[in-house]
Amino acid sequence: MALFELPLPELGEGLHEGRISKWLVKPGDKIEEDDAIAEVENDKSLVELPSPVSGTVKELKVSEGTTSVVGDILMIIEVEGDVPAAAQAQADAAKAEHDANSAPAPAAQTQQPAPSADAPTPAAANASVKSSAHDVLATPGVRKYAREQGIDITNVTGTGNHGKITKEDIDKFVAGGDQTVPAAATDTAETAAPTRVTQVSGEEVEERVPLPMIRQAIARAMVKSAYTAPHVTLIDEVDVTELVKLRKEIKPLAAERGTKITYLPFIVKAMIAALRQSPQLNSTLDEEKQELVLKHYYHIGIATDTDRGLIVPVVRHADKKNMWAIADEINDLATRGRAGKLAPNEMRGSTISITNIGSAGGLYFTPIINYPEVAILGVGRITEKPVIRDGEFAVGQMMSLSLSFDHRVIDGALGQRFMNDIKRLLENPRLLLLEV
Amino acid sequence: MVVGEMLEEVEVLVIGAGPGGYVAAIRAAQLGKSVTIVDKAELGGVCLNRGCIPSKALISAAHQYEAARESAFPGIESTAKLDYKKVQEWKQSVVNKMTGGVQSLMKGNKITVIDGEAFFTKPDEVRIMHENGGQRIKFQHCILATGSRPIELKSLPFGKRVLSSTEALELDEIPERLIVVGGGYIGAELGQTFAKFGSKVTIIEGLDSILAAFDKQMVRLVEKNLKKYDVQIETKAMAKSVEETENSIKLTYTNQAGEDKTIEADYILVTVGRRPNTDELGLQDAGIEVGEKGLIKVDAQCRTTNPNVYAIGDIVPGAALAHKASYEGKVAAEAIAGMPSVVDYRCIPAVVFSDPEMATVGLSEDEAKKEYKSVSVGRFPYAANGRATALNATDGFIKLIADKETGVLVGAQVVGYEASNLIAELGLAIEMSATLEDIALTIHAHPTLGEMVMEAAEVGLGSPIHIVTR
Repeated sequence: MALFELPLPELGEGLHEGRISKWLVKPGDKIEEDDAIAEVENDKSLVELPSPVSGTVKELKVSEGTTSVVGDILMIIEVEGDVPAAAQAQADAAKAEHDANSAPAPAAQTQQPAPSADAPTPAAANASVKSSAHDVLATPGVRKYAREQGIDITNVTGTGNHGKITKEDIDKFVAGGDQTVPAAATDTAETAAPTRVTQVSGEEVEERVPLPMIRQAIARAMVKSAYTAPHVTLIDEVDVTELVKLRKEIKPLAAERGTKITYLPFIVKAMIAALRQSPQLNSTLDEEKQELVLKHYYHIGIATDTDRGLIVPVVRHADKKNMWAIADEINDLATRGRAGKLAPNEMRGSTISITNIGSAGGLYFTPIINYPEVAILGVGRITEKPVIRDGEFAVGQMMSLSLSFDHRVIDGALGQRFMNDIKRLLENPRLLLLEV
Repeated sequence: MVVGEMLEEVEVLVIGAGPGGYVAAIRAAQLGKSVTIVDKAELGGVCLNRGCIPSKALISAAHQYEAARESAFPGIESTAKLDYKKVQEWKQSVVNKMTGGVQSLMKGNKITVIDGEAFFTKPDEVRIMHENGGQRIKFQHCILATGSRPIELKSLPFGKRVLSSTEALELDEIPERLIVVGGGYIGAELGQTFAKFGSKVTIIEGLDSILAAFDKQMVRLVEKNLKKYDVQIETKAMAKSVEETENSIKLTYTNQAGEDKTIEADYILVTVGRRPNTDELGLQDAGIEVGEKGLIKVDAQCRTTNPNVYAIGDIVPGAALAHKASYEGKVAAEAIAGMPSVVDYRCIPAVVFSDPEMATVGLSEDEAKKEYKSVSVGRFPYAANGRATALNATDGFIKLIADKETGVLVGAQVVGYEASNLIAELGLAIEMSATLEDIALTIHAHPTLGEMVMEAAEVGLGSPIHIVTR
C-alpha cells in the first residue's frame, strides 16, 4: 500500500492554475487509471482530469470552486503496491514547478498550523510578498501599494517614464486592464467557492454572481482590443445565389462522406484568397518597434458560441487544406469546444478570425477584433431579397457581411478592396476553383 | 525550573533594544500589539551607547579642537587647551540624553522593558536571566535584534591595553601612541580622531588600502588628511603578537615586504570587524536555522525558519548598519500585524565620519559597469562650488552614476564636508527612480553644497554650468 499525492498537473502550455469546478469522485471511491476524477476549469477550457493511478480515494484536499496552481495537492489516493514510476515522475514535475513558483519556504509555512496555537496567519503570506525593488521601476510607495493590493508588481506594465510603474497602473491591473493574469489577485478572489449573494432591499432584488474564469478572460481580451485598436466596421452584402445552389448540390455528397457542409469553408477559402491580395489584413502590429508583422501562414479563428461563453478555436494552415478537411475540422473544433474539451493551444495563434451571427439570425453587427489580429469578418444570415439582374427584378440570396479592422494598420479603401475580393468569390463560387 | 520563576505570556517579545529592536517595538505597539522588550545592557544598544552616537560626539569634539588649535581660516589665530575628561563627560551626557529619549519612547508607547539576558527554551518560550533571578516568557511572536560585537583576534586578546572600539570610546586620557589594527571605517574614524587629539597613530591594515570598500579616489582624500596628522599606514600588513609591559605594549607585525617589525604604543585598538550575537540564544531549541557566518536565515519579511520568530539587523545577512536594522524592525513588526510589508529597498546609504566624510549609496561606478551596458558618470568637485569655497572646504567631490540607456540614477558617492547629509537626497533619488535629468531640472538653493548634486547631474548629461568638461 502506498499513498499517492495527486498534484494539479500542467493543463497546457503557459497555464499555471485551474479551478476545480466539480469533483467526480468522493473519498472511498475505487478508481481505475484514466478515470475522470474532476472537472478543472481555466480561462480557456473545461477539462476532465484523469487519474494517473488506480486505487481508492482517500482524501480530497481542495473543495469545489477552489483555484489551485500547478503542483498544489488536490487529493490523496491509496494505491495497491508501489506508486507507478511514471505517475510519480509526473507528480514530481508538477510539484517542482510549484516550488519554483512559490515564495521562499518560510513564508509558505504560515499556511500550515504554526507551533503556537493561535498565531494569526499573516494576510501577507502569498507569492506577491517579496522584494521587487530591483526588478521594477517604481517608487517605494507604489511598491507598497501593489503589495497591499495583493499584486505581484513584476507582472504590471509601467506606463510612466522609462516604463516606471505608477499607482494608476496598479489600479488598472487590479481592474483587469492588463493582459497578464493577476495571479495573486485571482488567488485570493477565487479561493472561496463561487457563491451567489442575493441582496434584497424592498422591491429591488440584486444578485451578485462571481464571474467564471472564462468570462473574466473574455472581458480582459475585449477591453484590450476595444481600447487598443481603433475599430472601423464596413458593412456590405453579397448575392450568394450561386453558392446556395452549389451547396445544395454538394449536400448529398457530403452526407455520403459524413461531413456537415456549411458556408464557412467557402468563406474561409474566399478570405484566404483575398488575404493573398491584401496581406496587411493577415498581420499584427508590433507597437514597441513600430513594425508590421506580416504572417505568411493562414490560421483562421472561428468564433464559437458555447454555454460558458465565446471561444475562438483555430483552423491551422487553412490555405493548405481542402474544403472537406476545413469543414470537418470546424465541426470537430466546435463540438469539442462546446463540451469544453479543447486543448489551450487549439485556441491560440490565429492570424485572422471569422465570426458568424447568421446562425442566430442576425444581419449586421460590429465585431470586436480578436486582438492582436487586425481584422475580423462577421457573417450574417442569408436572406431572400429583390435584386436587379441584367435589368430585371429577380430574387437574390443575399448574405450580409461586416468587416471590422484596426485603423492603425488598415485604411478604409484597403478594407473595402479586401471585402470586394471576398464578395467576388462568394458571388461566383466557380472562381474558387482557381484558389484551391 | 527555578523556584519562584513565573511564566508570563506576551503578544510580541523583542530581544535586544538597539536601533533595530526599539524601533520594531515601537512600530508593533503602534499597530496595537502589547510589546515587551528585553536587553542585557542598556536601551539604545551599541549604536547609542558604544557606537554611532558616542563616536560621533568624540569626532565632533576632535574637529572643534582641530579648528580651535589651527583654524583653517586665514586671519584667525588661537591657542587651544584640551581637557579630555570634560570631553568624555560631555560625550556621556549626549549618550544619556539619547538613551533617556528611548526610555520615554518606550513608556509613551506602553512597552514593558526588562533588563536581562534572554535565551530560547522552546519554540515559543524564552528564559530571561537577570539580577533578581530569572523569569520565563511565552510569546506569540518574537523579534530577535541582538546585534553584533567586535571580533577578537586570537593573537591579540582584548585586555588592559588591547581595546575594542567600546573601550577606546571610554578612555579618559589621550594615548600618546596608539596602534589601530584594521583600517575599516571604525578604525579609520577612531584612528583619525585620536590623531587629531594628539596621539601618534599607526594603522595596520591587511588589504592594500585602508577603507578598501570605497572608491580609491575618495580614500585618497582621507589619506591626505591622515598624513597631515602624521598617521603612519602599513598596508598588506598582518599583526602577529603582542607583548605587554607595565607602561606600554609592543606589537609585532609582518609588513608588506614580509619583514617582522615591532612597534611600541600605549594602546592597541583592534577593529577587524563585528560578529553577530547569535551564539548564546539557544536558537536550535527554537527551530531557528543559522546560516553562514552565524547569520540567521530569514525571508523577505524577516521571518526565520520558526514562523513566529523574526530576526533583524546585524544578525541577518546584509550590511551591519543601524539604519538597515531600523528598517527591518519596522518590516518585521508590520508583518506580525498582518501587513504585507517586505524588505524592499533599492539602496542603503553608508557613511564614514572620516575627515573628509565619505558617503555612498547604490552602486559604485565599477559595480554599475558590470550591471549595465553603459553608464553615465557625472563628477563635480567641491572646489567649483561657491558654498564649499566659502567654507574653506574645497577637498571633495560628488559622483553620480546612471544607467546610460534610461538615465536612471543607480548609484552615488560623496566625499567631502557634510557628505553624510548630502547622501540623503541621492538615496531618495534612487528610490524614486529619478533620472539625471530629473535631478538636473530640480532647482537647488544657492549658495549651498546641495547645488553640487544638481551640477553633477548636469555633468552626467554633458552640460554643466560651473565647470568646463572639455
